[in-house]
Amino acid sequence: MTAIAIGLCVVCQLLIVVGQLLLKHAMGAQAAGQVLREHRARNFVLAIACLTLWFFLWLGLMRRWDLSKLYPFEGLNPALMAIGAWLVLKERLPAKAWIGLALISAGIALVAAS
Amino acid sequence: MIPRPVYSWFFNAYFQIGLGAFSVTASELLMKAGANHTTGPISWLGFAALASGWTWLGIICYVLSFISWIHVLRTVPLGIAYAMINFAHVLIPLGSWAFLHETISPLRWCGIGLVVGGLLLIIGPVAEVEAKL
Repeated sequence: MTAIAIGLCVVCQLLIVVGQLLLKHAMGAQAAGQVLREHRARNFVLAIACLTLWFFLWLGLMRRWDLSKLYPFEGLNPALMAIGAWLVLKERLPAKAWIGLALISAGIALVAAS
Repeated sequence: MIPRPVYSWFFNAYFQIGLGAFSVTASELLMKAGANHTTGPISWLGFAALASGWTWLGIICYVLSFISWIHVLRTVPLGIAYAMINFAHVLIPLGSWAFLHETISPLRWCGIGLVVGGLLLIIGPVAEVEAKL
């Protein structure tokens, strides 16, 4: 895989993280009453836009490489998502879950290197 | 709260996460099958794959998983829900191997094993959090 392809795979993952954070913000019950309905609607539309862009970028990547080579990059997601949810949504994960996330990242590195 | 006595198990957020993992896997495999069936020049954006029926089946599965996911997000914290739906990352290479005849090297099997181990570590704390609720 070329450097551009690897870069695009990472961009794909960031699009998913941003999209999911926006989606959770739009759907989550914890912010009820604090967030204007329009803000939720705007975030929902922005989330769909992020995920749509991801979808077509991902389809383009899949025409060039095997899915089993591409999927490890999608595996970056749980770690990025947990960090995003922690920073942006102030969610707290147990220490054991962070260890699990580190194991998943190590597994992904192994798959990507093989 | 609207009572849903008969189908309440179906609307359980964790059942929906499991269902979501399977439909995401199906959609990824179908979209790859669609991409494989596409001819013509290769570009960075895969619009050409829309010509294949497999791609559209993949899109239907993806939309179903998205509806299920929105339902999950209403109640489950994003970090936990996302970690759990990553069960799909075990199903996808196994599906690529079984249905798309892609090969998995021994080292890759080890990586998949590590991912499964990490997921099991995550599921433990989630069960504890659930027990406290």
